[in-house]
Amino acid sequence: MPLYPDVASTTTNFDVRQTIHPNRLRSMWLLLVGYRPRYVAAVAALGLAGVMNTLSLLLLAYLVDDVLVAQPENFLTLLALIAAVYVGLSIVRGLFAFVSGALAGQVSEAVALRLKDFLFDHIQRLTFSYHDKMPTGELIQRVTSDIDAVRRFFAEQAIGLGRIVLLFLINFSALMLLDWRLTLFSVAVVPVIGVMSLFFFRRVERAYDAFQEQDGVVSATLQENLSGVRVVKAFARQDFEVNRFEKENHKKFDLGKAFMMLHAVYWPVTDTLTGLQMAAGFAVGALMVINDQLTLGVFVTYMAMLGWIINPIRELGRLIVQISTGLVSFDRIASVVRNERELLGEGEPAPVSDLKGSVRFEHVTFAYEDGKPVLHDISFDVPAGQTVALLGSTGSGKTTLMALLTRFYDYTEGSIQLDGVDLREYPRHFLRANIGVVQQEPFLFSRSIRENITYGVQRAVSDEEVYAAARAAAVHDVIMEFPDGYNTIVGEKGVTLSGGQKQRVALARTLLKNPRILILDDATSSVDTHTESEIREALETMMTQRTTFIIAHRIQSVMIADQILVMDKGRIVQRGTHEQLMREDGIYRQTYEMQAQIEAELESELANV
Amino acid sequence: MSNHDFEEEEFHKSMNASTLWRILAMLRRYKRLTAAFLIAIALVAFIEAFLTRLGAAIIDEAIIPRDGQRLLEIMALYAFMSVLLAVMVFVFIAAAGRLGQQVTYDLRRIMFNHLQTLSLKYYNKTAVGWIMSRVNSDSERIADLVSWGLLDVTWAVMNMITAFLFMFSINWQLTLVVMPFVPILLFVANWFKNKILYEYRESRRFNSQITGGYNEMITGVRVIKAINREDASLAEFGTLTRKMYTASYRAAWFSALFLPSIYMISSLAVAIIMLVGGSAVQDAATTGMTIGGLNAFIGYITFMMWPVQELARVYANMQHAIASAERAFSLIDAQADIVDQPDALELDEIRGEIVFENVTFRYDPDGQDILRDFNLTIRVGETIALVGHTGSGKSTIVNLLCRFFEPTEGRILINGRDYRQYTLHSLHSKLGIVLQTPHLFRGTIRENIRYGRLAATDEQVERAAQLAGAYDFIMSLDKGFEEQVGESGVLLSTGQKQLISLARAILAEPELFVMDEATSSVDTLTEGLIQRGMEAIMHGRTSIVIAHRLSTIKSANRIICLDHGQIIEMGSHRELILKRGYYYNLYTKQFRRERAIAYGLETTTESETETLGV
Repeated sequence: MPLYPDVASTTTNFDVRQTIHPNRLRSMWLLLVGYRPRYVAAVAALGLAGVMNTLSLLLLAYLVDDVLVAQPENFLTLLALIAAVYVGLSIVRGLFAFVSGALAGQVSEAVALRLKDFLFDHIQRLTFSYHDKMPTGELIQRVTSDIDAVRRFFAEQAIGLGRIVLLFLINFSALMLLDWRLTLFSVAVVPVIGVMSLFFFRRVERAYDAFQEQDGVVSATLQENLSGVRVVKAFARQDFEVNRFEKENHKKFDLGKAFMMLHAVYWPVTDTLTGLQMAAGFAVGALMVINDQLTLGVFVTYMAMLGWIINPIRELGRLIVQISTGLVSFDRIASVVRNERELLGEGEPAPVSDLKGSVRFEHVTFAYEDGKPVLHDISFDVPAGQTVALLGSTGSGKTTLMALLTRFYDYTEGSIQLDGVDLREYPRHFLRANIGVVQQEPFLFSRSIRENITYGVQRAVSDEEVYAAARAAAVHDVIMEFPDGYNTIVGEKGVTLSGGQKQRVALARTLLKNPRILILDDATSSVDTHTESEIREALETMMTQRTTFIIAHRIQSVMIADQILVMDKGRIVQRGTHEQLMREDGIYRQTYEMQAQIEAELESELANV
Repeated sequence: MSNHDFEEEEFHKSMNASTLWRILAMLRRYKRLTAAFLIAIALVAFIEAFLTRLGAAIIDEAIIPRDGQRLLEIMALYAFMSVLLAVMVFVFIAAAGRLGQQVTYDLRRIMFNHLQTLSLKYYNKTAVGWIMSRVNSDSERIADLVSWGLLDVTWAVMNMITAFLFMFSINWQLTLVVMPFVPILLFVANWFKNKILYEYRESRRFNSQITGGYNEMITGVRVIKAINREDASLAEFGTLTRKMYTASYRAAWFSALFLPSIYMISSLAVAIIMLVGGSAVQDAATTGMTIGGLNAFIGYITFMMWPVQELARVYANMQHAIASAERAFSLIDAQADIVDQPDALELDEIRGEIVFENVTFRYDPDGQDILRDFNLTIRVGETIALVGHTGSGKSTIVNLLCRFFEPTEGRILINGRDYRQYTLHSLHSKLGIVLQTPHLFRGTIRENIRYGRLAATDEQVERAAQLAGAYDFIMSLDKGFEEQVGESGVLLSTGQKQLISLARAILAEPELFVMDEATSSVDTLTEGLIQRGMEAIMHGRTSIVIAHRLSTIKSANRIICLDHGQIIEMGSHRELILKRGYYYNLYTKQFRRERAIAYGLETTTESETETLGV
């Protein structure tokens, strides 16, 4: 049992899913796997510290009766002996208290570490559908305040409850042994205080919730005012705003006062009860001493011990309320943990040979939600190395179609084959390593540009490789213009990149990965025509070696494709090369004609100014 | 959200006495409450010490002399003191609670009211999140210091003083013997305080980074999946959580060591009392030491351990609160740089031209000029469209015109007078403004429109909505004008929000209308409605529009093309088209795009408009 900080090896790879149990206390116990002896020892040590404390109080009885009152011959020797024993008991008590605190601290931090590591991994492995539905703020809440609540459950609450119970039992038994009638008389008030405590802290909890809620309203009012500052100023509505804030702020003030008033009543009331109980107990005890029914020493011990029984009970309700909030936090964590992960490669052998890149869709249907298919009966065939273009308006299903290929979502009906093998037989990791996607609105991390480009490859990458990828994405020169070059941090903390620049950095990131299949989802929509042709030139060599999908809505972007699929409302409505499609009557030619018509309209518009 | 939202300077190196005084000065308005609170807490410490003294009396004056009568007297006093103690506890909790709430309330009010007077310059350089933290959490921490912090300190000091007073009264020689333990205890407590706080700060620092790590992972999860980065991300994160574990375990370790150390030192003091005091009891005749007195001494030593134990916590809270106060006071002390001149006039009506005369402007004194030597005369009733790339100075012109900012050099004239000679309020009362991302407040649609003129009747509100073209869509909502908007209310599209803010501006009957057109896509129907609403409000009114749509640009009396803070082209649509210059290029590009969107060939996204440069 190492007491000094040291990371226990068991914390890694702990599977929190195994701790999910209908009985939440059972779940908490399961979370402690590997640490149970330590945690039990922590509680036991606390009890032993309590025993030492009680023993030193009993020592007082001996000191008074057999030494101070009896005044034996070896008075000074006994006095020195008692003092030494007292110090000895304190040292042992201190050791137990330290061991308890250190163990409880270690166990609670280790449980928090387990939860943090597990949830990080779990969340990044949850499905796309889950992330589509779950707001970021909600998940952040789970992994920060809820984990901390569980940590506090182990660090403070569970052990605190143990402390109250043990202190009561130990001191109560000791007192009972000294004089059971006086003891029973003296704890008459304990059940009353216990019940009051439970009742009171429940009330406080409710009052505090109301107070917190109003605090949220105050905060929301402020935020609104701050984000609408121009409107406030432009309409000269400062006074109106001040009144609005004042109203909410004052309401919170009132709720706060009410909440504090509950405390201001509870503590003095229990103080009075405790005080009167002690006064009565002391009076009875003192009378018993006067009537020789009790020794003076026992009475002195009794006076010291009584507080150790009554005072902890006043905190009982607080701990029980806190324990229930800790358990609720665990419930919220469990609701994240219960969701199924995406299988990335576990248990599925990756194919031995390299991917060639032929793709075949057969009657594929897909729905995000049951009964609402967004893709209907999609069939097409792409030989390895071909360039395929998907053309269609927003919402026609182009992006969804491509998301099936990387198994971001699994199709509901039909089959997809890659190199003649059903897609579902490939591990997702393998697919994603071999298929590169550049999204329309790419996400970059708040890190340096270099880190963003090398983000996808888990090996040391030379500067030359990074530059080559950036050049192919026509973004190298732009990056070199930044003062810090490739070390420029992007995002809020650093430079804000334009939409086009972001797309090109994301393109470089994908190219560095060197995928067999390339999906460009409107990847050049945010760049001007000059840059677009630059990128296209750079991509041309790359595209000849790879199966490439281009998603676009401009005819110029798709003309060069070997095969063009025209999509509308989740179906493929036309297919062929540019020349073939131009001969057909359909969306493709209409689109082409509309683009021509726009030019004509512009001509006439300009002529008629 | 980026990582750095989670990383805030939480701690301050040293205690600043002047800040502390300023915090305490917040209590000046509540002298009686503060006095009641301090007296109550002092009495609590005193009574607690007195009850221990009574315990000695029970033994020495009642039990040993076997005096039942005296026992009853003492116990009556004991019971009375217990009740008095309870009353004092009531007073200090009620008073401290009240003071805490009061100071939070005051601070928030002061900050909020002050924020209303600050200029946009302040808002430009200060993040909303930063301001929110000052008003929300710093105000609480400061209030905690003046209530519970003050309580802790007063109680600790009174506890020590009264304990020693009673000990002296029982036996001064023995008191002198145990006195040296106080500095020893304080020294040890201080050593632990430094250790614990250091580790605690370390763990807080890692904790911020961990939250940042989660945030990055959750927002970027699609990329992580697409490029198979799960394992590397977890490994990276794992090093952070391990550092956090080590730091917080060390903090827990030192905390666990702290109390036992204090116990052990004080047990030495108790042992000395037993030895020295015990032998004194033997010759009670000469020393005056009694069994009850000895027992009380042990009680007082235990009693004094409590404040020592709390030292680390109280000190950390104080440091926290002082750091909070420094930030909060920096907000309160921020000077509004646009204020009314002492002899400012009321602007009753914008009768004449608005003239920009050699206006140069930069946001930052050392920064680049955003506008340089800019001249423009806006005639009464004229509609002006401003076009140009992001950063060309369009918004700056609007900001200057609204006097959200003032020219760095040169001046702006209204009715022939420098507008700085008018009151801000009178100028702003003449404005109607619609922003690119329209801001609606929590509340009903009706309340939001009424924001334009608070005294307006329901009929006037509805009439404004009709003029703005918002009426039909509002009525199609379940609760019509009573529908809640904002975070908890119905989801409105940007276009619908613009219609509501147009209605708000129309209701205000402004003399000067300012609009920043939305760049994000609006469906054709709403677009037409906005167009009509704008025409309704611009009719006969001086209007300045940062224009993104061709229809708006074309209908303007004058189009001003801006580049790097200077006018590069100015004139009517026809004039500028024929010129075949900057405007011509911009127009043809935008024309193709708008038509393509109209034909359903393209959709706009936020990022597209950036390169569009309109």
